[in-house]
Amino acid sequence: MVQLFHSKRSPVVFASLVLCLLTVASLAHCGDPLRIGEINPLTGKLAKHGQEIHEGILYAIEEVNRRGGIKGREVRLVSRDDQSQPEVAINQAEDLLYRARVTGLVGGYVDSLVGPISEVAAKHRTPYVASASLQRNLTQGRRNPFFFRVARLDGIVEPLCEFLSVLVRPANAAVLFSATPGSTEFGDEIRTCLEKSGIRVSIFDKFRPGTPDFSSFLLKLRMERADVLISGGFFPDHLVLARQLREQRLSLRVYLGPWGIAYPSFIQELGAAGEGLFGMCAWNPGITLPGTEKESESFVKGFQKRFSKVPNTTTMHGYSSGKALLTAMERSLDKTGNVDGETVCKELRSLDLLLPMERLVFDENGDPKYYRQVVVQIQDGRMVTVYPPFRATGSIRINAH
Amino acid sequence: MVSFPSRCLIRMIIQFLVDAISLGSFYALIAIGFSLILGVAHAFNLAHGEMILLSGYLAYFLNRQFSLPLIVSIPISMFSMLFVALCLERLLRRIPDPHELNTLVITFGLVLLLQNLMLMAFSADYRIIRPETRLLDIPVHGLFLTETQIVILTLSLATTGIVYLLLKKTFLGKALRATMQDKETARLAGVNVRNMHLIAFGLGGILIGVAGPLYARMAYLHPYGGMEATLVAVILTIFAGVGRIRGLLLGGWILGLVESATTLLVGSGWRELASAVILILLLLLRPDGLMPKWAKSTQ
Repeated sequence: MVQLFHSKRSPVVFASLVLCLLTVASLAHCGDPLRIGEINPLTGKLAKHGQEIHEGILYAIEEVNRRGGIKGREVRLVSRDDQSQPEVAINQAEDLLYRARVTGLVGGYVDSLVGPISEVAAKHRTPYVASASLQRNLTQGRRNPFFFRVARLDGIVEPLCEFLSVLVRPANAAVLFSATPGSTEFGDEIRTCLEKSGIRVSIFDKFRPGTPDFSSFLLKLRMERADVLISGGFFPDHLVLARQLREQRLSLRVYLGPWGIAYPSFIQELGAAGEGLFGMCAWNPGITLPGTEKESESFVKGFQKRFSKVPNTTTMHGYSSGKALLTAMERSLDKTGNVDGETVCKELRSLDLLLPMERLVFDENGDPKYYRQVVVQIQDGRMVTVYPPFRATGSIRINAH
Repeated sequence: MVSFPSRCLIRMIIQFLVDAISLGSFYALIAIGFSLILGVAHAFNLAHGEMILLSGYLAYFLNRQFSLPLIVSIPISMFSMLFVALCLERLLRRIPDPHELNTLVITFGLVLLLQNLMLMAFSADYRIIRPETRLLDIPVHGLFLTETQIVILTLSLATTGIVYLLLKKTFLGKALRATMQDKETARLAGVNVRNMHLIAFGLGGILIGVAGPLYARMAYLHPYGGMEATLVAVILTIFAGVGRIRGLLLGGWILGLVESATTLLVGSGWRELASAVILILLLLLRPDGLMPKWAKSTQ
């Protein structure tokens, strides 16, 4: 063996060996699974929505794998729990990128968790498609070419403001929002928009998420005689506030929460006290983008079979973000044969997907161009779309609450 | 003759006071079990909030599965939490010195265990006990005292009163107070300190059993929501001074009034800041708690 390397033919032998090794390595690489990293609040205060997003992403990945993966390569999801804490989210993102060496990142709920992850992704030049993020300056204030998201604030504020100014026309509105970046921005935007439409906003108040008592706020509402309340709180805040409204028999024409109300579990949990409340959603079983009814139905069926539960709007946000990243990776592999950060981002920027939740096209900032939610009302224990008119499945019942 | 705007203002002030006092009473109910266990057994029970949640989940389960009203589920919850608290006492009895520090570590472990058990049993969904529609209308038009508020006010006054009388007027109470003040001296005076610890945990468990279902009715249940309740209990115990039962109620009312007034006059976003300022001022001006003079006079 030693003689072989010392003979005249040794360069040829050496070159052949290197070639063989490279071939084996490249073949092995072809069969290597593609790894996608996911960071979500799977425990802690935001665990409910984190788990919903996780299930949506997982379903998107399993769907791809059922079809044989991407170019024959299996896709593996590497999940990390940020425990609903930003500092943990940063550590988990670093871990996924340094140790697990994932191709792209996906997931995330609320801007305080998504923001830090997007910074880490930019540092590592890795694409990150966030599932639930709204804060404007994450995309518009500082340019981050590796950050994309499937939701945007305008898609909530615009239809909500139109709904109130066209259909409800309140005399005196109250805006309540929670002390999180997205909700605070929402509060500012909706107040500006309502005032521009000539609607008086008599109460503009911020609260800490998880507040157990709103009775003083309700007293203020009574004193100011507000007829419409827009609350930017989350699921549990609406549970407490709507229950106290019911208990105190405070009659409002409209109580609307852009996030947290349009959930089947919310309706189930609150029972009769939820009747007449307004919420917003981008998707729900039976509420889908026109032209995607079949896909939506098939998603609901498949998801129910896999997880034994009904998906909701948050699940669909997870699914959509997963789908976007997977499609971009597939196209990147198709065109260049690799899935490095730059090429996947390039594919994400040129993406045009018709999904049940939205037609997904990213603008130059990474925001979805066509994301727009609908207004729903809880009527007889069901979610009924009431705005915009072309998607309405029923008419609004004012004073139902 | 009171004019309409003045009548309206008076009504609003009364409503404000009712709301603030019932919020304060709710806080006192949350804190009373914690304070008693800390005072007598010197056990810093970090899992206090999780135990409240556990009892809240029990009431929720009874309400949803068997349609049991809140008032029926409270005695069941009291009995169950008595059992849980006694088990905790047996566990903490075995730990070596330094006792206070080790109870902190053990109960922190218990926090994680209970959180995960609740997550497995009830999922990460947010739960509430649904509101009742019945209301007690007070003669003044437009003034509301909800059923939740009535239950909270009644139970907090009753529990505070009973615990206060037990501590002040009975021989057992004297023994408990003696253990609270000085364990060694109490032991020398013939008090069975171990039994006092057991009784304090038992009483604390019963009080947690009262607070839990009301927590599910007033706030919401989530496996990771226990820290909020523990924080309320710790803050109020600092407010009142360890083992000061009347001080807890007074502290709860002050906290409720400050938070509600801040929400009404300045905005909801300032209520936690206002509470923190009051707490800092109290620590600076009355480091022994709200009622130190009373405490000294009873010693």
